[in-house]
Amino acid sequence: MKRIAIGLAAMLLACCSGTRPAASRTDAGPVIGVSLLNLSNEFIVMLSRSMEKRAHELGVRLVVNDAERGAEKQVQQVESFIAQRVSAIILNPCEVEASSPAVEKALAAGIPVINVNSETRAAPTAFIGSRDEDAGRIAMEYIAHRLHGNGNIVMMHGFMGQAAQIKRDQGAREVLARNHGLHLLAAQTAEWDRAKGMSLMENWMQSYGDRINAVFAQNDEMAMGALIAIEQAGRKGKIVVVGVDAIADALEAVREGRLDATVYQDASGQGTAAVDAATQIVRHGLYEKQVLIPFQLVTHDNVGQYLQAH
Amino acid sequence: MPSRADGAPSPEKSFVLESNAGPARQSRVTAARRKPWPAEATLAIAVALLMAALSLLRPNFLNLANLVNVFRQISINGILAVGVTSVLLTGGVDLSLGSVVALSGVVAASFAHPAQHAVFVPVALGILAGAACGALNGIVVTRGRVAPFIATLGMMTAARGLALLLSGGRPVSNLSPSFTRIGAGDVASVPFPVVIFGAVGLITWVMLTRMQLGRYIYAVGGNENAARASGLHVRSVKMAAYTLCGAMAGLAGVVLASRITTGQPNAGVGYELDAIAAVVIGGTRLSGGAGGVGGAMLGALLIGVINNGLDLLNVSSYYQQIVKGLIIVGAVWLDRSKQK
Repeated sequence: MKRIAIGLAAMLLACCSGTRPAASRTDAGPVIGVSLLNLSNEFIVMLSRSMEKRAHELGVRLVVNDAERGAEKQVQQVESFIAQRVSAIILNPCEVEASSPAVEKALAAGIPVINVNSETRAAPTAFIGSRDEDAGRIAMEYIAHRLHGNGNIVMMHGFMGQAAQIKRDQGAREVLARNHGLHLLAAQTAEWDRAKGMSLMENWMQSYGDRINAVFAQNDEMAMGALIAIEQAGRKGKIVVVGVDAIADALEAVREGRLDATVYQDASGQGTAAVDAATQIVRHGLYEKQVLIPFQLVTHDNVGQYLQAH
Repeated sequence: MPSRADGAPSPEKSFVLESNAGPARQSRVTAARRKPWPAEATLAIAVALLMAALSLLRPNFLNLANLVNVFRQISINGILAVGVTSVLLTGGVDLSLGSVVALSGVVAASFAHPAQHAVFVPVALGILAGAACGALNGIVVTRGRVAPFIATLGMMTAARGLALLLSGGRPVSNLSPSFTRIGAGDVASVPFPVVIFGAVGLITWVMLTRMQLGRYIYAVGGNENAARASGLHVRSVKMAAYTLCGAMAGLAGVVLASRITTGQPNAGVGYELDAIAAVVIGGTRLSGGAGGVGGAMLGALLIGVINNGLDLLNVSSYYQQIVKGLIIVGAVWLDRSKQK
C-alpha cells in the first residue's frame, strides 16, 4: 500500500518536472515570466489565452504561473522567475500592497516588470490596463440615461476592499453625485458571486418592492444573478440591470434582450498589449509607460461585434 | 484539538465508558432521559424570537413571499447541512463540500444543454459525481487512516481543480429549461429546492432515528472503540456516512447549478463552513455521537433568517459578518453551558 503511494507520488513528480523546465529553456527567443491573479476566473483565463496567442505570433516564450489569489505565492513565483533569469515579467497583481515586493525584487534584479489589469503600490516598468472608475461611471451614466435622470438604484459591490470594487464604486458615485434625481436605495456586497447576487436581489425586492428602478452590479456574475431573480419575480422589463466585464453569458443575455447592458473590459486587448510591451522592452528597450485600454458600453445595439470576439 | 472540546464530559460517552462498552442503543436511551429539554426546542424558540423581532423592524419580513424566499435561499445550505450531519456524528468532518458542489454542478451542467439528454441524466450524474467524491473521502479516511480533516482538505482542493479542468475555467451555460426548472419551479407554490431540502431532511431523519445504520453512526461517534468491540463494522458505517454526505453535496450542486442557470467552477467557496456552522448551531458535537438532523435544519434556518433579515434592514456588509460570527459562537456557547 505504502509503496504504491510512494510510486504514485514519484510518477506525479516526474510528470510535473518533465513539463516545467522545458518552458524555461532559452534555446530560442526571450522568455517572459507571467504570474496571474487567478486562473479560475473567466476574465483572467481570457487574458492568459490572448497572451499565449500574441507570444506565439511574436516568437517569444511564456512561462505562465497561477498565483491562485495569493500575493505571497505571487511573490514566490516572481522570485523563481528572477532565479531563472527570465527576460521580463508580466505581473497580474493579486493585491495593491502585498504584491508590491514582487515588483521591487524584480526591478532590483534588473528585470523589467509589466503590470497588467491592476496596480501595485510599487511602480512597475510599464502598466497595461483599464481604469475601473470608468467602468462604474459608464454603467451608471447608462442607467441615468435610461431612467431619464430620475429613479431609485441599488448597487451590488464586489469583494469589499478590492481595487476593482473600490474604483467601480467611486466611478458610480461620481455620476450619482451629479444627478440629483437618482437615489441610491441600498448598496451591499454579493462578493462577485452569482448565487449571492441572486439572493441579495430577492431580498431587496422583498424589502423595497416596486421602488427599485435599476440595479448596478459591479460584475456580470452578480448582474446575471440579479437578472434571474428579477425574471423569476416577474419584474423583468421594470428594472434596468447593468453589469461589468462582458463575460460570454452576459453578452448572450444582452443579445436576447434580457440584460440591459454590460461594460466590456478588453481582456484580449490587455493581454496582447502586455506581451507587446514586454517584447518591445526586451528587444528594443523602447516602451510606453502606460497603455490604457478603454472600457466600452455594450447594449443590444452593438452586442454583435463583441459576441464575435468570443 | 483543544483539550476543552475533548475533555467536556458528554453524557453518552461517559455512559458507554462506565458500562464498559455496552450496546449503542442503550446509551442513547440514557442520553434522552438525562436531557429532558432538547436542543432543538431552544433553537426553535430562538429562531421564532428572531423572526418576531425582524417582523417588528420590517413588517414585510413576515409576508408569505418573503418566507418562501428565506426557505428557498436556505435550501442549498440546508441540504449540505443535512448531509454533513451524519459525518459529524461519526466524529469526522467534511471540508470538501463547497468544492464538490462546484464539481457536481459543472458535471450536471455539462449534460444539461437543451435537447441533449432527459433531465434525469444530468441530475443523476451530478449526484453520482458527489457520491464518488464522498466515497473517495471515506476510503482515504477508513483504509488510509488519514484524519478526516486532512483527507477532505485534499478533496476540497482536488475537486475544485477537477471542476476547473472540466469547465476550462469558464462557467458552463446554456442549460435546458427542464433542468433550470429544478431551481426555479415550484409545487403548490412551494419552490422545488425547498421540497428537495425537506425530503432529504426527512429521509435522513428517518435513517438516523429509525434505522440500524443511524444507530451505528451514533455508536461510532459516541465511542469508536466500544462500537468496534461490540462487533460493529466501523469502516462500513463511516464509508456510508461519507458517501451519503457526498451524494447530498452532489444534489446541492445540481440544485445550485439549476438555480443560477450555469455550472460554475468557482461556486460554493466556503459553503462547507456555513453547513458545518448550521449543524453545530443545531446541537451536534464536532466530537461526534450527539446531535441530529432536526437541529441542523433549524441551524440552517437560523443562518438564513439572519442573512435575509440583515439584507432587509440594509445592514452594512461589514456588520453582517460580525453579527453572523457572534451568533454562531453564541448559539453553541449557550448550548454547551446548558449541558454542563
